[in-house]
Amino acid sequence: MKKKIIFGLIGLAVIFLFPIIDNNTYHLYLLNRALIHAILATGLVFLTGFAGQISLGQAGFYAIGAYSSAYFSTRLGLPIFLGIIIGIGISVLAGFLLSIPSFKLKAFFLSLVTIAFGQIINMLVVNLQPITGGPYGFFGIPFYHVGDYMLSFENVFWLLGVILLFTLYIMYKIKHSHYGRAMLAMNSDDVATETCGISTKKLKIAAFGFSAGLAGLAGALYAHLAGFLSPEPFTFFESSNFVAMAVVGGLRDMLGGVVGGIGLTLLPEFLRFGGWENYYLMVTSIIVIVIIIFMPKGLAPLLGNMFKKIFRVKSSNTKTL
Amino acid sequence: MLQDILQNIISGASIGATYGLVGLGVVFLWLTISRINFANISSAMLGAYLFITFYGMNLGFFLSFVFSVALIALYGLGLRQFIYEPIRKRGGGRLEFVVATLMLCTFWLNLIIVAYGALPRPFPPVFGKSTDFVSIGSIKISVLYLNIYFVIAILMVLIYILLNKTLIGKSFRAAAQNREAAALMGINVKFTTSLSFMMATCVVGIAGILLAPIYFVSVELGGGAIGVKGFASAVLGGLTNPYGTILGGVCLGVLENFSTLYISSTYKDVISFSVLILVLIIKPSGIFNWKSKRV
Repeated sequence: MKKKIIFGLIGLAVIFLFPIIDNNTYHLYLLNRALIHAILATGLVFLTGFAGQISLGQAGFYAIGAYSSAYFSTRLGLPIFLGIIIGIGISVLAGFLLSIPSFKLKAFFLSLVTIAFGQIINMLVVNLQPITGGPYGFFGIPFYHVGDYMLSFENVFWLLGVILLFTLYIMYKIKHSHYGRAMLAMNSDDVATETCGISTKKLKIAAFGFSAGLAGLAGALYAHLAGFLSPEPFTFFESSNFVAMAVVGGLRDMLGGVVGGIGLTLLPEFLRFGGWENYYLMVTSIIVIVIIIFMPKGLAPLLGNMFKKIFRVKSSNTKTL
Repeated sequence: MLQDILQNIISGASIGATYGLVGLGVVFLWLTISRINFANISSAMLGAYLFITFYGMNLGFFLSFVFSVALIALYGLGLRQFIYEPIRKRGGGRLEFVVATLMLCTFWLNLIIVAYGALPRPFPPVFGKSTDFVSIGSIKISVLYLNIYFVIAILMVLIYILLNKTLIGKSFRAAAQNREAAALMGINVKFTTSLSFMMATCVVGIAGILLAPIYFVSVELGGGAIGVKGFASAVLGGLTNPYGTILGGVCLGVLENFSTLYISSTYKDVISFSVLILVLIIKPSGIFNWKSKRV
């Protein structure tokens, strides 16, 4: 048990020291995006893998978080921290709203409603010009700073890493509480759970709220990282990318969102070598399809097993994280 | 005033009928495999691009139409062989199919951007120009819309004959009602599944060719908005009634045209999205889903 913790800590230290080894700004920016996507995909793993609901409108919450944080910190001059909190709050409220259709609907029907939700939010982003800047974009969003000290990309990387760890910790806590067990039960059978005296409505509201909150947090973090918002990252195709991240990572795995979010953000960049510039997005989607067909359980359990095999040689009681 | 309203109904209904065709693609698959193909709308984009490619080779309207629809049908078979079957064999559930088809949608979009560029292309005026009008009394109807009606009417008659007057249609309906029982009666369920994939992609491909004069041949045809309108019309038909789906699409198109006329054009797409949400919440079994013996 102690060895597991030590290995975990060493692994974390290596990851956290990464920016010092490689301080190419573009790489750091990408890594930060990857961590943000990991936070969002973790929310989807929670919603889909644990609670059994589906959302193809996650980009809508992402947009709500991004634009509200940007609006409150830029136009109204609130501190970034407060802006992010407000962004999360509004997203959670929207998540509660979107949970209402899930009382009646399942699977495909629910996914259609969430698609429509995402499209409506996208339409609002494009058309509510006084607030969002519309297609011209939202400029001048303040970068992360503490007082007068501007954070560097390295600092932001560490900040995001801590937020991600905290998210995972909360998710771990929920999973192992009676709410988490109730959600897993609801995932297998709605009606049976209801007959056990558990209100599935409340669970669905909570699950949608939690994942929407994480998407809003991710959006707000992205807004302050990029400093500029346009409607493009908030389309239906981004929503489908987010779901792909969760599925490729592994829906039933705590770390599925992290593996999928980081993996699918960095994958196109690895394919972006000379002469391939036109094709890398196509190839990315093919790779995702192949992974889904051949590894329906996702990459995270696979990586977990590899981890086990490597470390079993050194210590017999090492388990996956 | 009255003629404005009539003209709007006529043009809205013709665009709406093409949304209905897109929805028909959803319905055919839902009937046989109870899955929704989220790359449904990609067939429309592929149809339009294939058509202008063949037309550009001077093959003429008829041959280009036949070739592109045939290729789209082949794509439907491929969809079954390379996406649906492998996922099913490896125990992937609904969600895997959802994500695989979503990624397929992205794939086709990127392929078209690589092959044809992202700029919209004009569609050859094979259905007449939208500026040519036919006058019936004081109402002017664009030739384009008349031709769209014409093609859709032929298509509906063909689908009706195929489903109701042939043995193939009978086995299709039987398999849609009860897969296992149909298989026990000696119906080739594998064949009807392939058929439904082909019919679904074909119908949407034709819808793409019909929509192209209105939306131009652009990646917008494979994007979200039109696809969602297709879903909305399919949901109005309860995902099972083909004729109700067309009717749903027509209503959607008319509603959209009137909201452009009386409210604002910026929010016209919101109408179909809201219809989709409201119908699913209030009456998920569909509004135009009358009980019929046909399918």
